[in-house]
Formats: sequence, C-alpha cells, structure tokens
Amino acid sequence: MKTAALILSAVLAVAACVFLLAPLVVVVLASFSPTPVFDLPTTGASLRWYGRIANLEGFWPALGLSIEVAAVSTALALVVGTLAAIAAVRGALPYADAFAALLVSPLMMPGLVLGIALLQYFRAVGFDAPLAGLLVAHLIVTLPYVARTMIAGLSRFDFTLIDAALTLGCTWRQAIFKVMVPALAPSFLIAGLFAFLASFDNYPVSIFLTDVRTKTLPIKMLQYIEEAPDPTIAAVSSLILLGTIVLLIIADRAVGLSRMAGTSD
Amino acid sequence: MADAAHLGVKGVSKRYGAATVLESIDLDMARGELVTLLGPSGCGKTTLLRVIAGLVRADTGTLSLAGRDVTRMPPYRRNVGVVFQSYALFPHLDVAGNVAFGLNLKRLPKAEIEAKVRRVLALVHLEALAERPIRALSGGQQQRVALARALAVEPSVVLFDEALSALDRKLREAMQVELRQLLTSIGATAVFVTHDQEEALTMSDRIAVMHRGRIDQLADPRTLYDRPATSFALSFVGQSFRLSGRVVASEPGLSVIDTAAGQLRAPKQFLTGSDVIVATRPEHAHLGHATLGPGDNSLAGTVSNVTFQGPRSLVEVRIGDAFLTVQMPGRSAAPPIGSEVTVGWPIAETLIFPAEGEP
Repeated sequence: MKTAALILSAVLAVAACVFLLAPLVVVVLASFSPTPVFDLPTTGASLRWYGRIANLEGFWPALGLSIEVAAVSTALALVVGTLAAIAAVRGALPYADAFAALLVSPLMMPGLVLGIALLQYFRAVGFDAPLAGLLVAHLIVTLPYVARTMIAGLSRFDFTLIDAALTLGCTWRQAIFKVMVPALAPSFLIAGLFAFLASFDNYPVSIFLTDVRTKTLPIKMLQYIEEAPDPTIAAVSSLILLGTIVLLIIADRAVGLSRMAGTSD
Repeated sequence: MADAAHLGVKGVSKRYGAATVLESIDLDMARGELVTLLGPSGCGKTTLLRVIAGLVRADTGTLSLAGRDVTRMPPYRRNVGVVFQSYALFPHLDVAGNVAFGLNLKRLPKAEIEAKVRRVLALVHLEALAERPIRALSGGQQQRVALARALAVEPSVVLFDEALSALDRKLREAMQVELRQLLTSIGATAVFVTHDQEEALTMSDRIAVMHRGRIDQLADPRTLYDRPATSFALSFVGQSFRLSGRVVASEPGLSVIDTAAGQLRAPKQFLTGSDVIVATRPEHAHLGHATLGPGDNSLAGTVSNVTFQGPRSLVEVRIGDAFLTVQMPGRSAAPPIGSEVTVGWPIAETLIFPAEGEP
C-alpha cells in the first residue's frame, strides 16, 4: 500500500516535470533543426539559425533595451522595495499587513490590465517619454518580487545585529553597509534575480508602452514570429534559456536553490 | 565620588510615553567589579543596560565611564562590549571575522589584529574553530564567540544581556563559573542582566535588585540574602516564609506583631499600629517545643506534607494560610502528616518590612 503510494507520487512528479519541461525541449531541438520547418524526428543538426540571430533586423537594440530596462528597474526596485519592506516589517505602521499586501498586489493583477491602465494614465497626465514610461511600468512589475523577498528576509533578520555593530564601533552608516547589507545579501540576490527575469521577459505590460523605436526583446521576438516563423526565434529562446540556467547556477552556488524556491529558510 | 567610580550612573530616568521604565537610577561601580541587575521582566534592567551601552538615550541623568562623561556619546565611541541574548553574531562572517570585527574598525595593523583574535579565541577555548561559519556552531560555542567578540576590543565595561539564558541548564551552570573566573582573571568590569537569582548569586560581587524601574537594593549576595531591604528583594531572592500583621507594641530594636497565626517579635522598631510583613528564611526554622529558646519566635501549625530526600526530609507546615518548609536531617523521624507541631526560629533572624506598596 505504502509502496504503491510512493510509486504513484513519483510517477506524478515525473509527469509534472515532463509537462513543464517538454515545450522547452522542443524549442531547443527546433533551434538545431537543419530545415526552416521543424519536424520530428529531425534529420541532423545545424547551427545555421544561431548564425542568423546576429543579422536579425533590430535584434541588438531590442536586446540592449531589454537588458537596460531590466537592470535599471531591478536596481530601482531593490532600493525602493527594500525600504518599503523595512517599513512594513519594522515601521510599527498601522495596517502594516495591508501595506505589505498592497506592495505585492501588482503580482496578482493581470499584466494586460496594468498595461492598459498605465497607457491611459500616461496619456491623461500628458506623460510622453516611452523609455521613462517603460521603466516606471517595469518598476511596478518588479517591485512585488523584491518586496516579497525582502519582507521574508527582513522578518528573519535579527536587528540586534545593528546594535552589536554599533557597540563594536560602527557608525549607523557603517552598521548598515558592513552588517545589514552583507547579512541580507542572499535576499538581495534572490530578489534581484527574480525581478530581473520578470522584467526581461515581460510582454503584456510592455506591449502597451513601446513605440516603433523602443521595442523590448519579447515584443521584437513575437513580431519576428509573425513575419517569418523560422527556427531563428527558437535559437534566441534557447540562448535566453541558457543564460537563465547560468544565472540560476550562480545563484545556487551563492545562496542555494532551496532558499530561492522558499522550501527552506 | 563620581570620578572615583569606573562606571557611574547618576539619576538616570527613562520614560516611554506614560510608562516610566527607569526612575532616577544611581549605580557606581568600581573597576573590575561584577554587578548583576536582577529583576523580573519589565523591571527596567535591560533598558538600563542599553542606556549604559548607549543604545537608548536616558531622559535625565548622567553617565560616566572610565573617567569620561559619556551621557551624550554615541555607542560606537563608548568602548563597551555587549553580549546579547541572541548573541547577534554576524552570519556573513566566520568566527575569526566576528571576533576581528571591532578591531578592524579601529584600523589596527593586520598582524596585531590577528594576534589579538588568536589570544581572545584561546581565552574562550575556540582556537580550533576560527575558520568555522557561524551557523555551524552549537549554542554554547556561539555564546563563546559572542563573548570573544565583545572582549576583543578591550572594552571599559562588558555588558551581558541575559547572555546565558539560551543555554541548557547544565551548560549554563558550568558557564557561570567559568565566565566569572575568566572575567576576574582579565580584570574586566561587567554588568549582567538576568532574572535568574542563582546566576546573580554565582556571578556577582554585588547585585542590584530592580523592581518597577528602581533599584530596590544594591548589595553583595550575602547581605542581599540575609538582610533584604524590601519585601520584594526578599521574595525575589531565595525562599521565604511571610505573614502579614500589625505592630501592637514596640521599643528600640524590637517590635511585637500580631498576625493571624499568632504573636511574633522582630528585631527592629516599627511604629505601633503600622501594617507590616514579617518573614524569615526557612533554613532558620526548626520543629518542636524542646528546641525553643527564649530568643525564639514560635507558631503552631499542622504538618501538611513530608518529603524524604535521603540526607534530609522536608516537612511542610501549614501556619494559618501560609506554608513553611522546615528541613530535618533524613535520619530523624519526621512528624506524621496532619499532626500539630510547633515551629520556631530566632528573633534575630526575623525580617520585618512595611506593608505599603505590596501588590
């Protein structure tokens, strides 16, 4: 009976992994396809689609813009989100729980709604700077990831560490930078990683706020698929996947994946 | 006076809103002295410790440390070492990194820092663990690291905030003795905060019993135990037998008190008619008419329980609505439960306090 239950749960776990990973496998396989139309089984492998990436019209600016927006919005979110998290955890605010929920709420709002709302709002107030608008939107998208992670990190942080640093000779500023920031480094890393990825692959919010000259990578990629559905996009996707895996490995080495998944403290 | 004290606390008060946490605290400590702030939670002992450390600013009063006025000095310039209840070790640094933290801030030469870290780690028997990360240490080891970190900067005073309370009982008792020897050997001046009377008695040259933001009594352990200044100090340190009553007659050096259980005498003059509490330590009490002398108080009671413990028996006697546990040698026959007995103790060992302000 017990063995049967174990086998069943193992089968279900494997099935779930297959279900989640199968599309990725297909994309990676398709990127090595020698023919413009991908079918299984493949008849050999080719790197020709990878070679074509660099020549995609507008690819480099889109990649640059995506990285720039993701990096800047992540950096801003880390500062604002951490300060907000400190206020939520330590500020003795009335309705601190409601405040924390509000911080995280964009996570639960459909991106589409957020995108349309921001578009109309920017129009209404006469805010006409596509790049700045995009940054504000991505700050809203990334903030919940940072706030959530930092609230969790700060609730475990022992603020007596600051007292200890002060009595050992630290000024307030030194106590923050020599003790609090390094002690919270794992939380910062996790928060930053999630925020960066959330911004980098955001489509539904960005689509409303980009114009002809400012297009992020996901938008550009969808456009390519509409124009020429060959495996070049699969190759781009595979490279993004590779980059994400590398990031995750670095993060795992630094703080451990189990902490990132929230399965242990 | 003030400049003779190594640590001088004068008239320190602290209020949080309507609540008075500290009320004109005075405390002078000599160099090398070990003093415990003893009291129940909420008595203000931790706040006083944090005022001394500079983590809390007092509303009134002055503080001097090692000949300097530190009243308005921020904590990072006071040169104090604090061992926190949670230890507050820096998780991103290893053992040596934690111990070297304060020394690095002083910008000492690297070789000197390393030598000092080694010396302090040897002092707390942790030389072998210098490279360990903090999370790989047991509670007792973390406690030692916290102590080493506090001592490394050679502070003018070391402050312990319930620092031993997280250890299990056996380790705590061993640590009390070792810590006292260590601090005495390096001539450290230290203030302990605790609610554990045994820890206070073991560790301190003097104990300050704190109650509702005041120091009820500041005395060496023996005086505190034998001659508690207030009924709170009496009840907080050691066992006691207490009865309330009213003074019916008095002369210099003697009061006669009527209690519900009978008439008692105490070796101190109180105003006739005043409400008092009369008490004694149980170890002064003995059973039976035969042992009574002219200098004894005596009361009649009923044996309510007898516990045989090998070398001794504990005889619990109900007197009125109070209980007094009398020790007898284990070999002598204890009276049966329910029997009427007479309990006596010397008048000289009778304590008397005014009843006002009793909760």
